[in-house]
Amino acid sequence: MENAGSARTYLTARDAGLINCTTCGRVSSADETACARCGAALASRDTQSLQKVWAWWIAGIIAFVPANLYPMLKTATLGTETESTLLGGILELVHHGSLGIAAIVFFASIVIPASKFLAVAYLALSIGRPSRFTAHRRHQIYKVVEFVGRWSMIDVFVVAILTALVQLGSAASIHPGIAAVSFALSVAFTMLSAQSFDARLIWDADKEPHT
Amino acid sequence: MTLRNVPDMDVVSAKRSPWRNLSLVWLVPILALIVSMGVAWQSYNNKGTLITIVFKDAAGITPKDTTIRFRDVIIGAVEEVSFSKDMSNVVISARINKDVAATLSPDTLFWVVRPEVSARGISGLSTVLSGVYIDAAWIPIEGSTSRDFNGLSETPLIRPGHEGTRIKIRSKNGSSLTPGAPVFFRGMEVGRLDTPKLSETADSTDVEAFINAPYDKFLTTDTRFWNVSGFSVTLGAAGLNLNVASLGSLLTGGVAFENIISGGGPVTDKTIYRLFADEGAARDSIFTQLSANAVKMSVVFTESVSGLASGAPVEFRGLRIGQVSAIGAFVVKTPSGSTVNMRAVISIDPQTLGLDANATPETTRAFLDNLIADGVRARLSTTSIFSAALKIELADVPNPATARIEDDADGTPIIPSVPSQLPDFTATAQGVLERVNKLPIEDVMTQAISLMASIETIASSKGTQQAPAAILGLIEDARGLIGKDDTQALPGELLAVITDLRSIVSELKDRGLVDQLSSALTSLDKAAGDVATASGALPKLVEDLRAIATKVNDLKAEELIAAVTRVMDSADALITTDGVKSIPPALASALTEVQAALRDLRDGGAVENTNAALASAREAADAVALAAKSFPGMTSQLDAVISKADALIASYGAKSTFSSETLDLLRELKTAAQSVSKLARTIERNPNSLILGR
Repeated sequence: MENAGSARTYLTARDAGLINCTTCGRVSSADETACARCGAALASRDTQSLQKVWAWWIAGIIAFVPANLYPMLKTATLGTETESTLLGGILELVHHGSLGIAAIVFFASIVIPASKFLAVAYLALSIGRPSRFTAHRRHQIYKVVEFVGRWSMIDVFVVAILTALVQLGSAASIHPGIAAVSFALSVAFTMLSAQSFDARLIWDADKEPHT
Repeated sequence: MTLRNVPDMDVVSAKRSPWRNLSLVWLVPILALIVSMGVAWQSYNNKGTLITIVFKDAAGITPKDTTIRFRDVIIGAVEEVSFSKDMSNVVISARINKDVAATLSPDTLFWVVRPEVSARGISGLSTVLSGVYIDAAWIPIEGSTSRDFNGLSETPLIRPGHEGTRIKIRSKNGSSLTPGAPVFFRGMEVGRLDTPKLSETADSTDVEAFINAPYDKFLTTDTRFWNVSGFSVTLGAAGLNLNVASLGSLLTGGVAFENIISGGGPVTDKTIYRLFADEGAARDSIFTQLSANAVKMSVVFTESVSGLASGAPVEFRGLRIGQVSAIGAFVVKTPSGSTVNMRAVISIDPQTLGLDANATPETTRAFLDNLIADGVRARLSTTSIFSAALKIELADVPNPATARIEDDADGTPIIPSVPSQLPDFTATAQGVLERVNKLPIEDVMTQAISLMASIETIASSKGTQQAPAAILGLIEDARGLIGKDDTQALPGELLAVITDLRSIVSELKDRGLVDQLSSALTSLDKAAGDVATASGALPKLVEDLRAIATKVNDLKAEELIAAVTRVMDSADALITTDGVKSIPPALASALTEVQAALRDLRDGGAVENTNAALASAREAADAVALAAKSFPGMTSQLDAVISKADALIASYGAKSTFSSETLDLLRELKTAAQSVSKLARTIERNPNSLILGR
């Protein structure tokens, strides 16, 4: 686990003829089909993992497009309604001088989702191919992606809270736009995409050139 | 065990048939794609149709924010504001709901709604906070392709799509008609006026009005419109009349309509209503409106037609049968040169003459010809005593010269006319008052007072009072000389004279002459007051009347009565003196003394006594005569007054209360004057009769 850069040989469960239960963590022998403790189905590798990853990933990308094009917030103040998209809102914050907040929003709403897409795509593509990064490095990337994914929802939370708070009748009211839903979906899809990824495949891919 | 299982767990085996092992998760991106495409398509679809509206300016219009509304429902929004190519206009691009855009008619009205405060109220207040919006109005059509429109600079008063009827009202003068002024029907606001426009010939003003449904169903071709602009003040015999329709109409003007007569066909596009100046004129128009087959005739006048106007009534025995349609002058060649005659063209409605509504002009003419043969002639007369306006009246004229309807050069039949007897009311009234003012009432009163004073002086003079004593003495002296019945009747005659005087005075008192005079003048004053309210043109007249009334009030009537009473008392005292009372018994018992007197006469010396007595009687009579001299003067003055008043009353003519009262008053004055005059003449003719009884 340490020495991520070196291509060391190590024993995997599969090499040892064992299957790890992903539900409860019990290690069974390779010929068992169900976990003796929790009864979950056992499989050494998820054969459909990459399919699922790509399916969720594409769904996430599709949802990400309207999330950026359509208005996130509809603010009605004294009869005048203004709509702001993600990028529009960020630019407005910059105009108002709130660079810090603009940076946070930009990071949470644009950078993280975009980098997640890139990371998941890279990881999926690297399976079965020689990679620049070692298996350990790629595993770390996977861990980061999985951890960071939920924080992308910060935008959606802001919209939800604002919508709930600012309902002052005709004086001022805020409604979520299509982009809010799309963004939430996009984040959910990328999280599912990341979760569908069977990290154990990294070990196989890493091992093949060596065997 | 481990090795045996390894080939089965080969991951590569899963890749052998990728389609068979296709995960259901793939449905998610497909679904996401479909949904996204749907959203995209919907938002594209919702974008609406792009239209352009050209405005003079774009005050308050902001792209994206300014909405376009129809019946207060948002149907689109402004997308872009730009200039026309020549920079003279503002072009507004807006997106309109597709469904709505398909119904836009080419003459759709667009206008910017702004806050507006006017006499009709405040509108567009909501736009103060929300900003302006563009309102639209049109009559929906199917499958419209119109995309370019012209915007209005002002809110249209009459919007397409409103149910109602659009009508045209023609007015001589549009100054009192303002755009948006209300149209009233029985006090209800039922419509609006559009902007007045000059008619094509510029001789009148046309204004379109929109009568809202369902009130438009009350419109017929016989509907009358009149102006209710502001307020109207009518000064008439009934007093001051102020008429205000509504506060709004006070500021903006307005028109009202009503179906004064029933009947009338449905309104058509070509119906043009005439706007009357006021309700009265509109109502009168029922009578002035001539039927289609009115007969055109003319009347020639040699006198002035000042006061006769186009539209003036033509009356036959008081009934309106037509109106004057034109007045003109024309030159007539006469042997002595050429004179200018006035010609009035009149239209006569055969229906009002009792003829059939469809009577031909020939029938009407024949009918009129018969009337003229019976002595009916046209002449000018005043419409009312307060007005200088004239009308033409067909009246029965006593002993007219033979005449008949003749055609003039144009073929228009001429109704023969006679000179009118137009009393110029103003001049007459002024004259009446001037004459009344000139009446020497004060002089008469002064003279009457001085007469009474003279009589009093005579009665109370020592000589007069001594007269009975002198007579007594005389009679006692001439007992035998005077024994005639005449002498005995003397006190009776004296009494009669006194009774005469008394009756004059009591007449004066009883008939309340002075009161009557005063009340007559009060009523004159009242009449003058009426005249004053009726016409401001006669202030001088009123002043005169007031002055007269004041003078009458100041007359020393009481003094006169008191003086007369004093005279009466004196006369009474005179008669009731013991001397006078004792005359008859003295006469009766004096016969013996007469004999003695005759005896004395015979002896001589008694003649001197008689002469002296007669001289003293003459002296008294002379005093009476002197006093009586002023009588004729007064009588003639009174006579002059009466004759003047007679002439005045004759010229005034009308049998008003005023004139009859004046007449009564003057007649009484005349009677009184005549009595006084008679008495005076009797005394003058024979002063001795006062004493001698003859």
